[in-house]
Amino acid sequence: MKFQIEEVTVYFPYDNIYPEQYSYMVELKRALDAKGHALLEMPTGTGKTIALLSLITSYSLSKPSNPPKLLYCTRTVHEMEKTLAELRRLHSYQVSLLGTSANYLALGLSSRKNLCINPSVVSTESRDSVDAACRKLTASWVRALAMENPNVKTCEFYENYEKVGSEAILPPGVYTLADLKVFGKEKGWCPYFLARHMVQYANVVVYSYQYLLDPKVAAIISKEMQRESVVVFDEAHNIDNVCIEALSVSVRRQTLEGASRNLSRMAQEIDRFKATDAGRLRAEYNRLVDGLAQRGNLPITDTWLSNPALPDDILKEAVPGNIRRAEHFLSHLRRLVQYLKGRLQTENVEKEGLVAFVASIYTQVGIDQKMLRFCYDRLHSLMLTLEITDTDEFLHIQTICDFATLVGTYTRGFSIIIEPFDERMPHIPDPVIQLCCHDASLAIKPVFDRFQSVVITSGTLSPIDLYPRLLNFNPVVSHSFKMSLTRDCICPMVLTRGSDQLPVSTKFDMRSDPGVVRNYGRLLLEMVSVVPDGVVCFFVSYSYMDGIVNSWNETGILKEIMQQKLVFIETPDVVETTLALDNYRRACDCGRGAVFFSVARGKVAEGIDFDSHYGRLVIMFGVPFQYTLSRILLARLEYLRETFQIKEGDFLTFDALRQAAQCVGRVIRSKADYGMMIFADKRYSRHDKRSKLPGWILSHLRDAHLNLSTDMAVHIAREFLRKMAQPYDKAGGSGRKTLLSQEDLEKMMTNGNIQEMLF
Amino acid sequence: MNNSKGKRSNGDEHEDEDDEEEDEANGGGLEAWERAYADERSWESLQEDESGLLRPIDNKATYHAQYRRRIRSTPSTARIQKGLIRYLYIVVDLSRAASEMDFKPSRMAVVAKNVEAFIREFFDQNPLSQLGLVFVKDGVAQCLTELGGSPDSHIKALMGKLECSGEASLQNALELVYGYLKQVPSYGHREVLILYSALSTCDPGDIMETIQQCKKSKIRCSVVGLSAEIFICKHLCQETGGLYSIALDESHLKELLLEHAPPPPAIAEFAIASLIKMGFPQRAAEGVVSICSCHKEPKVGGGYTCPRCKARVCELPTECCVCGLTLVSSPHLARSYHHLFPITLFSEVSPSYSSKQQQRIPKNCFGCQQSLLNPGNKPGLFVACPKCSQFFCLDCDIYIHESLHNCPGCESLRHSKPVIDAEE
Ligand code: SF4
Ligand SMILES: [Zn+2]
Ligand SMILES: [Zn+2]
Ligand SMILES: [Zn+2]
Ligand SMILES: [Zn+2]
Repeated sequence: MKFQIEEVTVYFPYDNIYPEQYSYMVELKRALDAKGHALLEMPTGTGKTIALLSLITSYSLSKPSNPPKLLYCTRTVHEMEKTLAELRRLHSYQVSLLGTSANYLALGLSSRKNLCINPSVVSTESRDSVDAACRKLTASWVRALAMENPNVKTCEFYENYEKVGSEAILPPGVYTLADLKVFGKEKGWCPYFLARHMVQYANVVVYSYQYLLDPKVAAIISKEMQRESVVVFDEAHNIDNVCIEALSVSVRRQTLEGASRNLSRMAQEIDRFKATDAGRLRAEYNRLVDGLAQRGNLPITDTWLSNPALPDDILKEAVPGNIRRAEHFLSHLRRLVQYLKGRLQTENVEKEGLVAFVASIYTQVGIDQKMLRFCYDRLHSLMLTLEITDTDEFLHIQTICDFATLVGTYTRGFSIIIEPFDERMPHIPDPVIQLCCHDASLAIKPVFDRFQSVVITSGTLSPIDLYPRLLNFNPVVSHSFKMSLTRDCICPMVLTRGSDQLPVSTKFDMRSDPGVVRNYGRLLLEMVSVVPDGVVCFFVSYSYMDGIVNSWNETGILKEIMQQKLVFIETPDVVETTLALDNYRRACDCGRGAVFFSVARGKVAEGIDFDSHYGRLVIMFGVPFQYTLSRILLARLEYLRETFQIKEGDFLTFDALRQAAQCVGRVIRSKADYGMMIFADKRYSRHDKRSKLPGWILSHLRDAHLNLSTDMAVHIAREFLRKMAQPYDKAGGSGRKTLLSQEDLEKMMTNGNIQEMLF
Repeated sequence: MNNSKGKRSNGDEHEDEDDEEEDEANGGGLEAWERAYADERSWESLQEDESGLLRPIDNKATYHAQYRRRIRSTPSTARIQKGLIRYLYIVVDLSRAASEMDFKPSRMAVVAKNVEAFIREFFDQNPLSQLGLVFVKDGVAQCLTELGGSPDSHIKALMGKLECSGEASLQNALELVYGYLKQVPSYGHREVLILYSALSTCDPGDIMETIQQCKKSKIRCSVVGLSAEIFICKHLCQETGGLYSIALDESHLKELLLEHAPPPPAIAEFAIASLIKMGFPQRAAEGVVSICSCHKEPKVGGGYTCPRCKARVCELPTECCVCGLTLVSSPHLARSYHHLFPITLFSEVSPSYSSKQQQRIPKNCFGCQQSLLNPGNKPGLFVACPKCSQFFCLDCDIYIHESLHNCPGCESLRHSKPVIDAEE
């Protein structure tokens, strides 16, 4: 269908549209028109992605003179492929209506690990080793050597691609990563470098958050994107954490030991070069004297990760004299590593501001702030000079230099926290020096500044007024949309009391109360006997889960549960968890039924969907507050209070509730689906907690479901499940239209009552 | 997301009208748990209307909407072949879950009662067919009665054995039934109707294989659930072309069961017309003593004699145990007849249509003469026969299509036609 939103003709590849998709597009267009940023919350299952893609591409098509580019950021490769698949459908629809004038180029970009087609290279396991293996074949000096010596191996795909030069282009269309690989194989070109090259010209680029938020990667990949771009962060409810992580570095004992090894290898290399090719080192020195820290136009294959500091904060001056000579630089680094090793010896938790930390480095080992600041660039230059290709071996020293550069660059918004062991496991020594960023707005600021529209969207962004404060920006549009449903297919409940009518909670003082543990157990037991197929449980932490499952085991409740359904448990081990999930799904498929125990903030809570029969019920045991004694969290809270006037309690509640909403949101992935959500903690009945849940959950949370005991919840569950099993009409009755056709839209528009339809 | 999209565009546009009432009825007033506590009190069935007045919950509209959706889902206006000879196994789940008391007095008792009604209705509508009973409990399936044409012997067996325990196993039930059904002659329709209380199934092997086996042997499996939708049951029904439904309450359960009484559409591959040899035995003279071939017992009077081998059988329909001839009575055959010639679907007349053409609309139903107007003289929803253009109320609509199998309007037209001719 196609329809008008003001002057823009929107092409939408389906015959019908949900009203909320329509209003989402209207709001989005307002933001684009105003060339401002937007914050939009819309529940999953409502076709957010297609609405976004549809509007933005149609918007570009309506502005042929200066079409804005779309940079679409996803969290995972899987989401990237899904997005591109939707876009392909949209694109072919647009082409079918408009002909070739609707042609555009859209592609996904990921690391070599996902794009390389050289069989000898992709077979290595990790991302870094694929990168290094590729570099070994394609670095400029390797290729130069290969010219003379045919025995030196290069990558034929890169050579072919190089040969064609700027002729190597992708014809317009939509390319998923898989498509790129197919295309690459067909032509014999390297898909990775082709994609890297094409992003500049593409109309739509889909890639991961890091390509914009992590300065190390962004400076290489996204440097040349034009200002007239629309940036979309999808599933962005945790974007503040991504920003913080992009600027945080942890240094452990292994890092330091690795760094020492790296340093001695580099020293050997230097000696070797001194003996064979002393001119190289001298040339480097001269270049540094001339103030060329970053060597401008490097061949594309030589670029490594870039400076960890934000672009505006990178000094454009000459490298300080005392680290220009390679040996001097190495000895400085050696002393720095030594210093950090010393700090790791501590028995106590230490927290320090960056100013004090830098001062202490200076007094102890004589490295000043400016030298620290140049560590990264100096290292990069040295590695190129030494022609090091196995970059995966040098990650340790690189981490140290990242750390040093950040420490030297920033004074506010960071702190150094040294912990001799993990607070929760005090008997296992695991000393770590953490450079913690507390300010999420730092990493995202360049993005807001550089691009004309940034859209942050997710199923859970509540309370929606907090994100602008955390990220320090002014959205021109911020809106939370509800879900229009033909039937009430989600059933949230707040369970405050157990079967004995006593309150349940994971509050610190009640946590280990045997009564609460028993009540939670009985709740699960009753529920597994009335809910078919899959049930998912979320606990507030691993240690809490271990504890409660243990006591259920001792009291025999677990055995009773297992009579009804098989039990699977998430562990910190990814492989184990994947296996457990697989078996869980199988048990749901074959009718045996299963329960999955997992942890809020874990892998499962963020990325795994429990749609349809894989999750008919999700129980959130307790409120998933962060571990409040963590030093990092405390430091961040302090910073938030001082800088943004966000109260500790507010932030903690917000953060807990968004995690809870993420967990329970796992069960509804489309409108045809149905599922129940139980918030099992008396604290959820309090207004200040509950009101922070997203609107689409709140609107289904009836007053009568706010203060339930186990037996009441069981009755509601039975009735709900029976009702949902009845056949229903997906289009919605005439009274409650949830699907609009082109005609409906046109009628509404002429009647001028379009706003009424919207929320 | 892709999924929802796909479904969305397939949405049936022509089902718009009848959902309004459904919404109303579903939005029912009381909370689930309150309702559960309220038990069988009369005020249970009251709900608040828009103006805050109490009125009975209007389930009629829901039922009618469901009924219309059902009959529309099969293109019954076209003459389709029906499988008139059915071999049906009823599988009753007597696992632990059947002892639950959310149906009063218990699921098990309610199931038994309704299966009884179903068996009678089944033979009424499918006089040429046979059924058998299977129980599932303690993780195994056992055959209670073999295929047979006597409602009473099935019912007797069913009522005798009502105890429940252990787990349910769908696979075991299917395997057992499969073993029996694969032997029945190919002109017959192989069907399984499962009444499932449990929410899971504990199977010894891979149930998916069993399902494929059933699918290959053209065994149509339907499930009526008593508690909630289970994926594997849904999968089973989808694969084998059966119906899956969940009972809301006892009356709904009854209705769902009775949906399975009329013969299903014939399976295309077997629908090629085939001739079946049948015998129409005579009732034996009263007072004659003879040994029947089916029970091997001496019987006085009653019973029928096989026209081919003269063996004596007790009940019809059946297969002669001696010569294997299918034995039916002629009224049985006649009763199956209407399934082959279903009457056309009545079209709905919406209130808006009636307000426009007020003068053409009679006030009363042609069938029962009740007023077609809702209380308060608002025009309600009713239907019209496209052939004779008479108007009927919703109750008569269901009655005509489900039981009567004749349109009173068309019938009276046929009778009165000569009169009209004469007047001209
Ligand atoms: S150039 Fe491309 S194909 Fe060759 S190794 Fe590198 S990433 Fe793989
Ligand atoms: Zn007999
Ligand atoms: Zn005979
Ligand atoms: Zn009537
Ligand atoms: Zn008629």
